[in-house]
Order: sequence, then structure tokens, then C-alpha cells
Amino acid sequence: MFSQGGLSLEQAPPISVVMKFFITASIFGLLLGLYLLVSSSGLLTYSAYAYNVTITHFLALGVMASFMLGALFQMLPVIAGVVIKMPTKKSMVVHVLLMVGIFLQLFAFNTSISLLYLFSAIILGSALLHATTVMIKELLNVQDHSSSSKGMLLSLGSFTIAIFLGIYLLLTLGGYIKGDSFAQVKEAHYSFALFGWVALLIVSVSFQVVEMFYVTPKYPTIMSKYLVTTIAMLLVLKLIALFTSLPTVGIDLILALLFIAYGVITLHRLYKRKRPTSDATVWFWRLGMGLLIISMVITALGTISSIDEGLKMLSYLAFIGFALSIVFAMNYKIVPFLTWFHLSNQGYMEAPMMHDVIHPKKAKIHFYIHVAMLLAWSLFILFNPPMIDILASLLVVLSFGWLLYHLIFAVKKYNYTQKHTEKMEW
Amino acid sequence: MIISSYMRTEHRACDELFSTAEKSVIDGNFEQAEEQFLLFANDTLRHFKKEEESLFPTFEELTGSTEGPTRIMKFEHEQVRGLIGKMAEAVENKDSDAYLSLAESMMILLQQHNMKEEQMLYAMCDRTIPQDLKESTLEAMKAIEL
Repeated sequence: MFSQGGLSLEQAPPISVVMKFFITASIFGLLLGLYLLVSSSGLLTYSAYAYNVTITHFLALGVMASFMLGALFQMLPVIAGVVIKMPTKKSMVVHVLLMVGIFLQLFAFNTSISLLYLFSAIILGSALLHATTVMIKELLNVQDHSSSSKGMLLSLGSFTIAIFLGIYLLLTLGGYIKGDSFAQVKEAHYSFALFGWVALLIVSVSFQVVEMFYVTPKYPTIMSKYLVTTIAMLLVLKLIALFTSLPTVGIDLILALLFIAYGVITLHRLYKRKRPTSDATVWFWRLGMGLLIISMVITALGTISSIDEGLKMLSYLAFIGFALSIVFAMNYKIVPFLTWFHLSNQGYMEAPMMHDVIHPKKAKIHFYIHVAMLLAWSLFILFNPPMIDILASLLVVLSFGWLLYHLIFAVKKYNYTQKHTEKMEW
Repeated sequence: MIISSYMRTEHRACDELFSTAEKSVIDGNFEQAEEQFLLFANDTLRHFKKEEESLFPTFEELTGSTEGPTRIMKFEHEQVRGLIGKMAEAVENKDSDAYLSLAESMMILLQQHNMKEEQMLYAMCDRTIPQDLKESTLEAMKAIEL
């Protein structure tokens, strides 16, 4: 870590690198809410297939990948001691191609125009593979891996596999290849993207940030040392099983049990935290872990007996809730901290304190909106009372709109401090 | 691993003091908070002094470099010192919002700093400093007062 000079916040990229990804993610979240609103109000109708893949990719790429890539550009130097050279330029290439690629893909899903599938495969594939290659290349140079840096590497590796599988799927949908293994590739694509990329990254980052933000006891060594590798190996086994027509239920069951164990232990760490504060970010983490456990319990049940469609949908919703909760928790720590940190380091004596950037009360309001949104979608899945989908969609708009407003406020505060306050030259 | 063990214990003790002071601020008990914050500030500054006056020079002499990890650690010590000053002002003014806001920054700054020291620097010290020199450095650190 030291030998590469890639140490700490001192080496962190400019704040704009992170903020543009976070703001983009919030805008995609807002657009997702509007898409849901339009479809639930019956203004436009889509095929069930188009509707499902659009929502999935709005969330997985527009929201999650944008948030997570932005966070990685920021966290790799801090957590893994890795310095990404020319971060502004590299992140800009990823950012622009990612936005264009996502829109092309979403239009492809909704219009089935063959050329759109091809262009989205090329542009989206280039954006994401460029990002993962840049990061993996640097992470491979790390000599002493911590459990977090190893987890990040495996997570990015899983994402790369998911991207290649996704390109196969897009080219099949566009009619460019026969796609004989479409069903297996689709299953593997979702497994690597959700368990490998999203969950593995959250797990590996949590090994450091939960302890760092809340001063908790350390995770058990057996978990911090072996969990991420075990999950990655299970995913590779699943890939092999899928293509050799072997059953995968056993692997799914073990994966679900491992995530349940991780969720329970993280909740216990949070309960044992030394810091007395119980701000919104603690609640987001608690909720996220609770939802992960719910989602994985249903998944585990599904591997040993047949469960109805509603329960399956609830499991997907809980997983989405888990991922979003953690992303929001990270946002409300990272953005105020970076705003204060960069301005302080630049010598601005009046750098706003973290609470002046985004006050914990505002984050708490977002927590309530988020919970209400999840409850509304749960009601929709279980009982489907009238108008509930419209209310749930509005809550999605409100949730991401709230976050977007506060991110823009942070940027404005940052710019204002730079323009209008005194700077001390070091 | 006597360096790692001793220094890690000091980090944990500072965390405890920080958390008790923060709890008192949340409870609105500023008199107690001020006392506890002073204990935290003194222990943290004494810990920095031990590193800067004893451990780091020993390490720098052995590795022949003052531009490596110790330089970055000293830079971060300065950042923490700045925050301690502002937090002292906030607790004196009984400004809980300002205190808790600064406490957030302090915790992230301090924890990532401690992690790097514990995971890398102290381990390097334990590996590179010969046993007898390690023991005398440790004794010298224990004797340091503010």
C-alpha cells in the first residue's frame, strides 16, 4: 500500500469524479420512477418482457453501476491503496459511454430494433469493460491484499464476466448470433451481476467501512478472510454447472446461507458499535442487512421447496431494497465528508462541516421515504390494492428526487465555497 | 509484534474516549463532555507525540527515508490536530450540532488513518526494527508525556 504511494485520502481523485456518477445514478433512479409511473397509470403499455428487463437494467446499470463505479473511483485509493492515473479523463470516458449505452439498451428493450441492440452491446460493453479493466489492472499490482481489496478484485472480475455474458444476450436478442445457450447465459449473467458484482462489492467494502464509520468490533477472521473467495468460487462452479447441465440448487442454497450469515454478523457488529450515534446511515445499514436476510431466506426456501410467484417477487424486491439501502448509506457519509475534506485540504477556512452539506435530518427523511417506497411495493406484490402501484412509483420518484436535490445542493455548496470564501495558501 | 500490540491498544482506548464524549454531547451533558473530550484530545496528541518523536525516527533511520509512509502519517496528524481545535471550540460553546458534525469528519479521518497504521506501518516496524531496539523504542514511547 505504502510502497505504491497510493495511500489514503490524500491520493483521492477530484470530487467531480465521484459526484458526476452519483448525480447520474440519481437521475436514472428518477427516470425509473417516471417509467414506473407511466406504466402503472396505464398511459403507455409495454410487453411484460420489455417492462421487466427495462426496470432491471434501469436499476442494475443506471442506478447501481453508476453509484458503484463512482464509489470505486473514490474508494480504491483509500481502501486498496490503488492509484488510478488520470482519473478525470478515464472516468469521463466511462461516464459518457455508460450513459449513452444505457439509453440505447433501454430503447432496444422497448423497441426491439436490431441495430439498437448491436450499438448498445458495443457502447455499453466498451464503457463497462474499460472501467473494469482499468481498475482490475491496478488491483492486480497490489502486493499485500486486504480482505476488502481482494473482494473488490473478485467483484470486478465477476462484473467483467457478467458484462461478456450480457453482450452475448444483447447480440442474441438483436439476431446477430444464434444464442443456443441463451437460457444458461441469462441465468449466469444475473448470478454474476447480482451475487458477484453487487453483493460481493458491498460485502468487501463493508469489511472496512462498517468498522471505520461506526467503530464496530472487527468481523470474524474466518469471514473477512474466506467469504469473498468462497462466494466467487461458488459462482464459477455455478457457471460450470449451468453449461454442463448439472443441478445448481445446492450452490444457490450455499450462497443464500453465506449471505444470511454475513447479514446476521453485520447486524451484530452494528449492535456492538462503540459510537452512540444512530443516524440515518446506521438505519440504512440495518435495513439493508435485514432485507438481504429476508431475500436470501426466501431464495433458500425456493431451493428446497416450491414457492409461489409472489414470494419470489418479494425476494427480488428485498434484494433491490438491500442494495439501494447500502448505496444510500454510503452516499450520506461519502458526499458530506468529501465536500468538507477536499475544501479543507485546499485551504478554505470556511469549508462547510459535514452537517452543513447534508444534515442527518435530511438523510433521515430519505430513510422514511425509502421505507415507505419498499412497503408500497410489498403491498402491491402481496395484495395489489387499487392505486398502490401509482403511489409506489411516486415514492420512487420522491426517493431519488430527494437524493438528487441534496447532491446538487452539495455541489453548489462546494462551488460557492471555492468562489466566495477565503483560501489560505499552504 | 510488540509495537503493533501496544499502539493498537492505544488506538482502541482513544476510540473509547471519543465515543463517551460523543455520547455526553448527544445527552446534552456538556460539562462531562468537555472533560471526556479533553481526555481524548490529550491521549490522541500524546500518541502522535510518541510516534513523531520516537517510533517514526527509529523507522526512518532504519529505512533511510523520511519521505515514505511516515511523512503521510505526519500530514494526517496535522489534519487531526486541526479538527481537535475546532471540536474543543464546539464543546466549549455547547454547540452540539457543530460538535457532532466535526465528530463525523474526525471519525472517518482517524479510523482510516489508524487502519493504515495498524495494517501496514506498525507491521513494517515490527518486521524491520531489531528486537532490542524495538524494546527500547517501546520504553521510550511509554515515558513520553504531553
